[in-house]
Amino acid sequence: MGSSLGGWPSYNPQNFSQVVPADPSAQPLNVIPATYIATHRTDPPPGQVITTDPKNILLRHFYQKSEEKLRPKRAAPDNLTPQNNGKQPRGPVADGGGQASGRS
Amino acid sequence: MPVQIGGGKVADPNPKGRLDHVAADKDRPSSKRNRRRHKKAAASAVAVAAPCPSLPPVPAMQSLFDTSKEFGIFCLPKSAVIPLHNHPGMTVFCKILFGSMHLKSYDWAKSAPDSGSNTLEASDGARLAKVNTDAVFNASAETTVLYPENGGNLHCFTAITPCAVLDVMGPPYNRADGRDCSYYDESPYMSSSGRDARYSWLKENHSMFEMKGVQMPQRRFLKVIMYRIRSVWFVFGLVNREAKIILFASSRKCTRIEIHLLTPQGLQPMIDVPIYGRIATLELFRPHNETQDFLFIATERYKFCVLQWDAEKSELLTRIRGREVILATDESLFSVTTTDNLYADKRGGAMGDVSDRIGRPTDNGQIGIIDPDCRLIGLHLYDGLFKVIPFDIKGQLKEAFNIRLEELQVLDIKFLYGCVKPTIVVLYQDNKDARHVKTYEVALKDKDFVEGPWSQNNLDNGAGLLIPVPAPLGGVIIIGEETIVYCNANATFRAIPIKQSIIRAYGRVDPDGSRYLLGDNTGILHLLVLTHERERVTGLKIEYLGETSIASSISYLDNGVVYVGSRFGDSQLVKLNLQADTSGSYVEVLERYVNLGPIVDFCVVDLDRQGQGQVVTCSGAFKDGSLRVVRNGIGINEQASVELQGIKGLWSLKSSFNDPYDMYLVVSFISETRFLAMNMEDELEETEIEGFDAQTQTLFCQNAISDLLVQVPFVLNYIFVAFLVTANSVRLVSCTSRELVDQWNAPEGYSVNVASANASQVLLATGGGHLVYLEIRDSKLVEVKHIQLEHEISCVDLNPIGENPQYSSLAAVGMWTDISVRILSLPDLELKRKETLGGEIVPRSVLLCTLEGISYLLCALGDGHLFSFLLNASSGDLSDRKKVSLGTQPISLRTFSSKGTTHVFASSDRPTVIYSSNKKLLYSNVNLKEVNHMCPFNTAAIPDSLAIAKEGELSIGTIDDIQKLHIRTIPLNEQARRICHQEQSRTLAFCSFKHNQTSIEESETHFVRLLDHQTFEFLSIYQLDPYEHGCSIISCSFSDDNNVYYCVGTAYVLPEENEPTKGRILVFAVEDGRLQLIVEKETKGAVYSLNAFNGKLLAAINQKIQLYKWMLREDGSHELQSECGHHGHILALYTQTRGDFIVVGDLMKSISLLVYKHEESAIEELARDYNANWMSAVEMLDDEIYIGAENNYNIFTVRKNSDAATDEERGRLEVVGEYHLGEFVNRLRHGSLVMRLPDSEMGQIPTVIFGTINGVIGIIASLPHDQYVFLEKLQSTLVKFIKGVGNLSHEQWRSFHNDKKTSEARNFLDGDLIESFLDLSRSKMEEVSKGMGVPVEELSKRVEELTRLH
Repeated sequence: MGSSLGGWPSYNPQNFSQVVPADPSAQPLNVIPATYIATHRTDPPPGQVITTDPKNILLRHFYQKSEEKLRPKRAAPDNLTPQNNGKQPRGPVADGGGQASGRS
Repeated sequence: MPVQIGGGKVADPNPKGRLDHVAADKDRPSSKRNRRRHKKAAASAVAVAAPCPSLPPVPAMQSLFDTSKEFGIFCLPKSAVIPLHNHPGMTVFCKILFGSMHLKSYDWAKSAPDSGSNTLEASDGARLAKVNTDAVFNASAETTVLYPENGGNLHCFTAITPCAVLDVMGPPYNRADGRDCSYYDESPYMSSSGRDARYSWLKENHSMFEMKGVQMPQRRFLKVIMYRIRSVWFVFGLVNREAKIILFASSRKCTRIEIHLLTPQGLQPMIDVPIYGRIATLELFRPHNETQDFLFIATERYKFCVLQWDAEKSELLTRIRGREVILATDESLFSVTTTDNLYADKRGGAMGDVSDRIGRPTDNGQIGIIDPDCRLIGLHLYDGLFKVIPFDIKGQLKEAFNIRLEELQVLDIKFLYGCVKPTIVVLYQDNKDARHVKTYEVALKDKDFVEGPWSQNNLDNGAGLLIPVPAPLGGVIIIGEETIVYCNANATFRAIPIKQSIIRAYGRVDPDGSRYLLGDNTGILHLLVLTHERERVTGLKIEYLGETSIASSISYLDNGVVYVGSRFGDSQLVKLNLQADTSGSYVEVLERYVNLGPIVDFCVVDLDRQGQGQVVTCSGAFKDGSLRVVRNGIGINEQASVELQGIKGLWSLKSSFNDPYDMYLVVSFISETRFLAMNMEDELEETEIEGFDAQTQTLFCQNAISDLLVQVPFVLNYIFVAFLVTANSVRLVSCTSRELVDQWNAPEGYSVNVASANASQVLLATGGGHLVYLEIRDSKLVEVKHIQLEHEISCVDLNPIGENPQYSSLAAVGMWTDISVRILSLPDLELKRKETLGGEIVPRSVLLCTLEGISYLLCALGDGHLFSFLLNASSGDLSDRKKVSLGTQPISLRTFSSKGTTHVFASSDRPTVIYSSNKKLLYSNVNLKEVNHMCPFNTAAIPDSLAIAKEGELSIGTIDDIQKLHIRTIPLNEQARRICHQEQSRTLAFCSFKHNQTSIEESETHFVRLLDHQTFEFLSIYQLDPYEHGCSIISCSFSDDNNVYYCVGTAYVLPEENEPTKGRILVFAVEDGRLQLIVEKETKGAVYSLNAFNGKLLAAINQKIQLYKWMLREDGSHELQSECGHHGHILALYTQTRGDFIVVGDLMKSISLLVYKHEESAIEELARDYNANWMSAVEMLDDEIYIGAENNYNIFTVRKNSDAATDEERGRLEVVGEYHLGEFVNRLRHGSLVMRLPDSEMGQIPTVIFGTINGVIGIIASLPHDQYVFLEKLQSTLVKFIKGVGNLSHEQWRSFHNDKKTSEARNFLDGDLIESFLDLSRSKMEEVSKGMGVPVEELSKRVEELTRLH
């Protein structure tokens, strides 16, 4: 059993170091933090109001197919692009992993 | 259209002579006369109404006298009109009983007046009529008689004052005999010489009269104030690792986000952020190139936003109100499909029903997920659609698009870690109810899915949760009810059987994903371990850790401490220990956070009969079920009391200055002073202090230090005798010898009126505006300064607020005549600041104090008002002036200390504790009726206690924690469903049930339990039959029986039945603290609701409303006998009654209004709301207005149209108010959580309390019209200054919204928003004030008054 327990991740050893367990017979805490009031501007930066592509999914498929038919030779580079794109994120993928392990 | 059962037309008018009297408004400037169809009694009914001068119209009552004549007394309010009508073939006697009215009558013209024209009938059918009478009549006038042919057979009345007229008609109206009442429009008759006023054209009017302008909209204006007792269950506890300090936490499906700090002492609450929406998903993520996490929020109404915490400001722990940068918000996520979008487009235009939406909302809740590599956000909101919001290279969001998702019954979707292309794993159920997982890659360029790397069919039938495992292990854990499975793209497949349980909450412990915490439906916490070798998972292991609240979310925080968020019980902070405790648990509870949700039912109990209720809720679910006693205000728990009449003042003294505890209590009367002391047995007994003058009234008393060099502490006593001017003195008495050390005498001819002191200074005022300042130096009273002010002095104070607790450099003085308060410097008594208070009420008490490090000057007036000012302790400047009303009597202010913090006690007819929270002054009432004087009395026996002088009584009491709401938990370990209070037996009774889970089967046992309403001690229990559920409980009494009973309605819920077909009504008496079953009555369905009704019992049983009589049998026992009923509901779930009226809340047919007719012993429907609302609670606000809550989190009010013109209109409940509360209301009940002052304006405002699934308790207050108008303006002004976090719109959030329509909120105001005015900075307040055209002080006062409603 001991092998699984313990070795808990620690991000800041200070955290919870001085916590005194509450008296089990005491009433639960009813702390209410101050209410946040946004009197500042809350609109997003320009261009960051996200909308949805209004095109119907079916129509989008039709357009995509017809484009492929019209430009059959371009299909190959098209297919490649995602792979190229796919390779680029590798960095971030590795980063993500590194980040994760770095946290522990 | 609403569903109608059996095609029956609702609101069928009763053809039998209902006399509806007329209320019309002629005060409009327009001369167009209002008319209403006036139905006179038909057939042989005789209408008699008591003449009643009061407004509005009084419906006539009927009784049968005679068949040949018809009597009617018509009571008309002022300006009411009975339109022009005829009496064909009838003779009518008319007598005005009181008041005055205008009568105009006609007879049909026999010949044309104008020789030029012979026609008596116009082409449009109008007939010429000759004016008979056109005059004002009153009660002195003779009886007028009109005959079939003359005497003014056609007439109309207009009430000039409220009046009543007696009509005797014979024979009565009878359609069959051609005596039908017709109504006529008049148009002027033009003779050849012009208008001829003696004649008019009368044209019969067949149409329904329109009621333009006649309606007297008696609207109720409602305000919702939600208490901030939120459910603090953090479904997504999210930890910002980098900053390592911030925990984003939220109550899911709720409307607030809380942010707490991780500190060495535990969680420290920082801010509570209201969100204008019900939060559906909440995720933290970090886009590329960003140094901190962002927060993604999506709301149930399809809005989303991404929030960023300003890192710089977030380090300034106390100034978190800093900027927040909102990265992106989405007005309309589904541009085609959501109603919200249409609403947004229509904003500014007319609001109305909007078209059908295309998507079908998911059954299993919205899912929002973010790719671990931050390439896209994925949302599953509608069946068959997966929405993608891609990020660009810079981490900005781009245009979203939908992808068709073949799987329709989706249970969970997660992103997989470590995939080259963003890949989702979908857990779904096929149409044979088998469950599978499947993976898809998201092709962002093609905007489509590509089949993913793997899938797994035929999982555990209870599989419901996916846990993606971080790289490098990758893959996913699938949690079932009997097995846990791990699988990944490399076809690694590991499984482990578990004891059958439902696991819905998990929390990752290690960043590499090798350990997870799992919480199941019984509150057991497990640890799941992935054993692995070189990035390959080799096995699964599950270990028992211990029991917590039933977890809805689990967040590993730091250093082995875990936050367990619970929807069903209190949330907990737990520590994972290495060693098991004696019970075998590795879990130690560090802290519990109160959660009242789900509030299934509650009752309001006014224990002390003070008009202040406390709410007892049925809270929590399953094993975490409990009763919670919620009380507002601060309680003083009396420890001792003694009868003492005529107390004029009260002070405590220590036996030496350095003693931590008080020893003496000095009680002053009009002509004497008595001294009480704590003796060795910790009892108060009377004593003597020789140096004091006991034969006079004391004005002030205080321990003093003498000189710092002299180590002998002293006691001061200032004595004032009103009638013996020479005896005016200040006495300095030694603590040790109790003898007089020094004395200061007032100049001859002057009497000390008011005095104040601290340990080293004395300030006193005598008549004539003399102000004397003394200091205690070398055990002597030294007169340092004496000035004369231009007016009499009404109060003084020199409580030290600076660094030196024994010496003040400022004094406050209140003045008569110019009604001002002045700040003087000490010791020179120089005027530093003068503040005129305005008005004519003299300040009666001033106080300098420091609360939470902020210095204030408080100044209380003789009429219960209190001014507060921020005080600059060095310059004496006053700012931020505010005025509140605490009571109606003079207030006296005194500081006291509780748990090391200073607060202020305001003694008055409404005693109040003034305290500071989050640097803001708050006012909380005390559960005492009237307090004349108070002083802190901190003794060893009862630390931190207060001595309180009430009328005729001195008491010592301890004070609650200083906070606005007090919640007491009574754990049940089972779930309470219905509760009610019985004052007579001093008990509470509730229906509850317990889950019994054995290895083979699950079952429930249902109970009725009885407990003491004061001690909450369990008294008695009654177990219901197998499968029998308690559905309703009330306390009631019956006609001809003085006993009070508990009535319980039940249902037999059989697994094979869709709706219960059998139930019982059980009638219990409480005898010797036990539940005694007196009567039981079987019913043909579930008894969803019970009401005491006219000495009978009204039950809602499935589709039917049923009335039972309480009948005495021959053997002396009683039985319930069915009297009458009313069909026509889908399921009548909620009933409320008032007089003979019954309001029914239906499962899906909104609200209907029924009436019980005594004579006919029948229940009939009067009116209904034709909207298809699925109700969750109803209540009658008054006779006319009813409030309902429905399952789309809206509340609305409907109004009885009793004065409408047509039966059709009367049969319709008019919707007058609509509001999106954002909370699922389970119960609405009349009551108040605060004490009501009968003579205050606020005391007149009726309130209804509601309780919700999220554990919110709130109140709805019906405001007077002018106040509503004022506050509505304030709300619309505030919206311009207080922005929605994430740019979400308040207007849209509060708009009434369900599947069928979205419409603007009306006749409801958002109390929380209005009260946030008090949290604004002074400059913002001033801007709001400018926008409103109302001074800040006035605004604060009115909003502050509102806060005292709850």
